[in-house]
Amino acid sequence: MLEGLVSPESLSLSYADMSVPERLKWLQQLQQQEVLSQSSNDSPELLQILQFHGSNNDELLQSTFSHFQMLGSGFGTNYNMGFGPSHEAMDGCISRTGSCQIDPADTMGVMLKNSEENRAISLKTKRKSEVKTREQEKTEKKIKVEAETESNMKGKSNMSNKEAYSDTLKETSKGASEIQKLDYIHVRARRGQATDRHSLAERARREKISKKMKYLQDLVPGCNQVTGKAGTLDEIINYVQSLQRQVEFLSMKLAVLNPELDLSVEDLSVKQFQAYSSNLPVIVASKPLIMVDVPLFPLDQQGSLDLSVINLNQTTTIEAVRFYHSENFSDYSKFLLLVWEVTCLLYLFASAIYKLGNSVT
Amino acid sequence: MQPTSLMKEEFLKKWQMGLQIYRPLIDNTSVSERRKAIKLSADVAMASLRRGTTCWSRALIQKTATENNFLVRQMLSGIKAETLINKKLPKVMCHRKIVRRSKKNFMRRKSRSVSEEVAAKARKLIKRKTQGLRNVVPGGEFMNNDVLLIQETLDYIVSLQTQVNVMRSIVDAAEAGIERTACYLEKLKFTIED
Repeated sequence: MLEGLVSPESLSLSYADMSVPERLKWLQQLQQQEVLSQSSNDSPELLQILQFHGSNNDELLQSTFSHFQMLGSGFGTNYNMGFGPSHEAMDGCISRTGSCQIDPADTMGVMLKNSEENRAISLKTKRKSEVKTREQEKTEKKIKVEAETESNMKGKSNMSNKEAYSDTLKETSKGASEIQKLDYIHVRARRGQATDRHSLAERARREKISKKMKYLQDLVPGCNQVTGKAGTLDEIINYVQSLQRQVEFLSMKLAVLNPELDLSVEDLSVKQFQAYSSNLPVIVASKPLIMVDVPLFPLDQQGSLDLSVINLNQTTTIEAVRFYHSENFSDYSKFLLLVWEVTCLLYLFASAIYKLGNSVT
Repeated sequence: MQPTSLMKEEFLKKWQMGLQIYRPLIDNTSVSERRKAIKLSADVAMASLRRGTTCWSRALIQKTATENNFLVRQMLSGIKAETLINKKLPKVMCHRKIVRRSKKNFMRRKSRSVSEEVAAKARKLIKRKTQGLRNVVPGGEFMNNDVLLIQETLDYIVSLQTQVNVMRSIVDAAEAGIERTACYLEKLKFTIED
């Protein structure tokens, strides 16, 4: 964000360009805002908002919007006056506080850091994390310049608070299973868009939904290529359905393999790996039997076959059938096995063709 | 968020517990009975991992509790067992025919432009997809809120992944064991025949 920032030389130029009465006016308004923000910061509403749980609370919203309008009007008048009277005003503010010892050279960095959070809280508005236009950036920085003074006034304690809040924000945005403690809704009104209550709330809601959809996209494999909500939703539905079918299939397999129903396995991963590594040549040498479960094999309403089930089980063998026929390992059972394999293959082939036909039309 | 090993372990423990409860009650000879037992205990174990914090877990437990009340109770072993089973989820009654008719009338009155039509079609499509998602996720009919629905699907997908991983690793281990013994038996057979 520092790239868009105006360099100090231009700042001084613009400041020099401004006439004296304008400067005075600006300082007056600064004072006004300080008073406002100070009073608002002490109000209990702020504490309430800081513990906003993401639920729609009408009273809170109303109060936030009334404040927003007040401050917005205050900022609006500053918009026309070049990029803020920087150094002298800042020095003046600093001298007013007297307590902070921030070097004016790196005030910019500190300013941005504080004001990012401070602005959010002092303005008590909702903000969007999207790319903003040039003019918007200017308004933002102006607000930061003005807000910086407030932060200096309040000192370090507020800063730590705000950092904690931003941290909790980041925490709560991850993982739906975590309980959301301090859900802070940030939405900023973009230039040329409606700023009334409903559209802002709707935009916040849409932001939330798109954020969650991004998590889902990361979770579901193969979802990154599809764009748009409908496609990703489709993929998600397919994935969940396939997972459910896999569970059924695996439970059937287990039921066949394990007549005693005892799962006495201490260390899963190690045992599995050992089993695989020791048996790999044997499995490869044996006949390539493809594992399918015909009754559970799906062609859902759209006719899309779930091929993921096949790919995952390609190397396994039809142990179930062999197990049952192990006592009388006769030619008849071998014949049955062969028939079973052939029918499975035919089924696969037919369903693949069906899917291809569907996709073409 | 990927399924962690801790989750897998917990799931496995609960599943074992469930199966132990099931074993004396079911008929051990039929495959379908065993499959049902396995699936049921796995589902309840998966749902109880969440301890009733998520909507889908509660719905899943309720669904299984309608059939095998006693077993579910034992499995949950008192962790909010009573509240989870007896609590009724709020039913959303909507008469589809009436809603459809009113929507048709509303659309007829509205003036249409090309861009509006496209947007409306897109919205319809998305609505249909979300309805499909609600059908798949357990307890989805009660989530009118879109945000809640997506949260629940996230959690549900993660739990399903753990379930599938654990089950698959067990099946693979069992298979490998059987494969090994079968090969050994074949080798024995050949040596005997010679």
